[in-house]
Amino acid sequence: MSPILVYLATLVVYFFIYNIFGFGLNIQFGYAGILDFAFITFMAVGGYLYGAAALPHETPGSQIYYVLGLSWSFPLALLLGILGAGAVGALVGLIALKRLRSDYLAIVTLASGTLIYGVIGNFTRLFDGWEGLMGVPQPFTGALNLNANTFVLFFVLVSGVIMAILWFFANRLYRSPLGRAMRAVREDIDVAEAYGKNAFKLRMTAMVIGCIYAGIGGALTIAFITALAPAGWSTGETFVIWALLLIGGRGNNLGAVVGSFLVAVLFTEATRYLPAIGGNPNLIPDLRNIVIGVLLIVTLRFRPQGLVPEPKTNFFAVPLTSRVLRRVRHEEVVGA
Amino acid sequence: MPEATPVDRGTPILQLDQVVRSFGGVRAVDGCSFSIDRGSLTALIGPNGAGKSTVVNLVAGALKPDAGSIVYGGVDITGVVSHRIAGRGLIRTFQLSREFARMTVLENLVVVARGQSGESLFNALLRPRLCRREDRVLVERAIDVLDRFGLAAQRDMYAGDLSGGQKRLVELARAVMSEPELLILDEPMAGVNPALIDLLGGHIESLCRNGITVVMVEHNLEIVERICDHVVVMALGRTLATGVMSDLRSNSEVVRAYLGERLDEPTVR
Amino acid sequence: MSILWLSLGFGLVTASILALSSVGLSLQFGVTNYINFAYGAFLSLGMLLTWTLTRPLHLPFWLGAALTIPICGLVAVVVDRVVLEPFVRRGGNLLYLLIVTFGLSLILDNIMQAAWGVGFFRFAVGQGADLHLGPFQFTVAQLVIIGVAAAVMVGVHLLLTRTRLGKAMRAMSDNPALARVSGIDTKRVTMSTWFLSGCLAGAAGIALALNIVSFQTTSGDDLLFVVFAAVILGGIGQTYGAMLGALVIGVVTEVSAVYVGSAYKSDVAFLILVVVLLVRPQGLIPALGKA
Repeated sequence: MSPILVYLATLVVYFFIYNIFGFGLNIQFGYAGILDFAFITFMAVGGYLYGAAALPHETPGSQIYYVLGLSWSFPLALLLGILGAGAVGALVGLIALKRLRSDYLAIVTLASGTLIYGVIGNFTRLFDGWEGLMGVPQPFTGALNLNANTFVLFFVLVSGVIMAILWFFANRLYRSPLGRAMRAVREDIDVAEAYGKNAFKLRMTAMVIGCIYAGIGGALTIAFITALAPAGWSTGETFVIWALLLIGGRGNNLGAVVGSFLVAVLFTEATRYLPAIGGNPNLIPDLRNIVIGVLLIVTLRFRPQGLVPEPKTNFFAVPLTSRVLRRVRHEEVVGA
Repeated sequence: MPEATPVDRGTPILQLDQVVRSFGGVRAVDGCSFSIDRGSLTALIGPNGAGKSTVVNLVAGALKPDAGSIVYGGVDITGVVSHRIAGRGLIRTFQLSREFARMTVLENLVVVARGQSGESLFNALLRPRLCRREDRVLVERAIDVLDRFGLAAQRDMYAGDLSGGQKRLVELARAVMSEPELLILDEPMAGVNPALIDLLGGHIESLCRNGITVVMVEHNLEIVERICDHVVVMALGRTLATGVMSDLRSNSEVVRAYLGERLDEPTVR
Repeated sequence: MSILWLSLGFGLVTASILALSSVGLSLQFGVTNYINFAYGAFLSLGMLLTWTLTRPLHLPFWLGAALTIPICGLVAVVVDRVVLEPFVRRGGNLLYLLIVTFGLSLILDNIMQAAWGVGFFRFAVGQGADLHLGPFQFTVAQLVIIGVAAAVMVGVHLLLTRTRLGKAMRAMSDNPALARVSGIDTKRVTMSTWFLSGCLAGAAGIALALNIVSFQTTSGDDLLFVVFAAVILGGIGQTYGAMLGALVIGVVTEVSAVYVGSAYKSDVAFLILVVVLLVRPQGLIPALGKA
């Protein structure tokens, strides 16, 4: 099989996974206005739990330590990742969402992220510390008799289907009365409360759903690339997700898709193979982060709605009774 | 909007008893007591710093009182959080227009309707037809309300793009949409032109006629005298007097504390 | 000598570093009313600039530090004018300003990493001899840190109470709208505040680097949420509260390190932060009348 095809398929998998991250952050920020600066942490929780559950029991004397080691199948390990990411998200939300001020919320998420980063790095027994998990078995390879190349193609299908389902439910949530109430909280939390909306519960729901999306993305990541270490989920990675959502268009899942294509796939991949400048291998990633940061700030400054703005709700997709419909039509004709 | 329902006029719907709230040693509300009758249209007046807005925040649950009790509809709601109080039909508006800016006018109304079963996660994700069915009823009701407030043409605009006066109307329309039993309006006419004051006044009167008990914090005594049947006067965090406007004019204490200096320039803030 | 006394001494040193940094953060928050997530980068900038001036450029340490501090202040002013002020002027949602400062922290961190590299740095000056003061034991460097921090706190107090600038800053912090109509040049006060905030961050960075001896481009960010803990404990935007918060956090983290191990110092700070947010979110000294 042509290596170009495998390379492109790999990019498509990344693209799908970043879409899932984009949807998750959009549910938190675009719907409910939650400033989650630790989004990538929940990806890591989902990823590690998936990995530790999918790996076989740790080999004594191998100097590689991790918990679980259950040799679980893909769906079971994924479920564990979902539960773990959601639970950690709920825990952080319990602290962060109590306080109404958005800067407290941002501080608590950022601090929780740093704390979890340190705990996972320092407690080697959890997920092998700073080394991270490696050699996570690729799912379906045995059952479907896949080789390294056909696995990539098959995973395009797996991640694509999961991404499509998550996209569908994210859109359904947006349009639902629940999503509408979340947006009211985003717009003005006091007023929403004054009209009987339980802002804590609404934001908590958005927080946990967003974390579950992150966890699913994390599980897919580790299932695909078979490894995950703290270096792969630093605060800078959270920022890439913020950048893709805000550049694409917050409040719009299509915006998240456009953003993830431009920022996470096109821009990151286009700069990946640039030669190291001045013998400093870190310079290109540094410059890349700087450019992403500048792009984000420029977008917020000059096009805060992003490339694909949030759509206006059109209730007239809802079938109305003939009485109201007649009047609406009449107004349109008269130009009320 | 339900048709005018027979209400038990005369029985109290809201009772404050010796409510106290201080901020950093300053007693903004200092033993405030009054009672609001069901079906009445009451004005809460008083000079700046009298504690009116704090009282609104205390009643609506945005602040917790340090002492005293607040009873609404026979139930003690002292210290209950605001969304629970709203859930019982006590709705308040805010001093400045605070529309949901990036939602359409129609959405601003639909979202505040109480008891939407599509607000549960299960229904939202798995029962879209139920959500649509409910939405249809709400959208039709919201269109009716918007028509009544003359906002039909603005239906699909973002609420943030409306003019100041239109935002005031949306605020009131939104409150109506939530079907309150007791509606507390915090300076609904602050900073609007005289023509709009009349319009808003008319709408508020008709709300009351339709069975909603209304309390409004207001500085414009002319409109208070015209539409309100009861007045509560506050000064220095306490209730100074209650009654009807004409009685209060003869109350020398009230005149000294408030009316004397304010009546000459009633609308200026 | 008791380990408790020793850690109490360390606590005072940490408290001094935290006091410098949290007062700088708190002053800026008070005047502009939003949190600067890029603050940690200014601490790092302070360390790295001093390192460059004193190591490759061979300036004496005191001169390098004295030059670094105003440069940090100027960088803060430039960042405010070029990046942040356009968002403040546009008004609207606070959320976006927070995202911008968060993005700024990433940009500044990566600029520093590109310029200075990922290795560890240390100043030419060491910690100096150990000195015994009663039950305490300090190095010369630590005593200098405590002395400088104490002097700066007195200076900030005098600035806030005795100078026109300080009074204007307090007025803006209490009621920005009123301050504007009462003829205060809010632009000048905002710029001065950012300058001061940058200077304090630079000084705190130098002090931190002296105390931890070996540092890298991310060392400032590592302290950032300990600083947040101190600021929130003191009551956000409250300058004197920030001093008190710094003292409490500094001493508690160092003393608790005796019992739980020094690897978990920042976890202790996080724990305090969480407890404060849950129990007393307005901090030890609540803002008067801000309800």
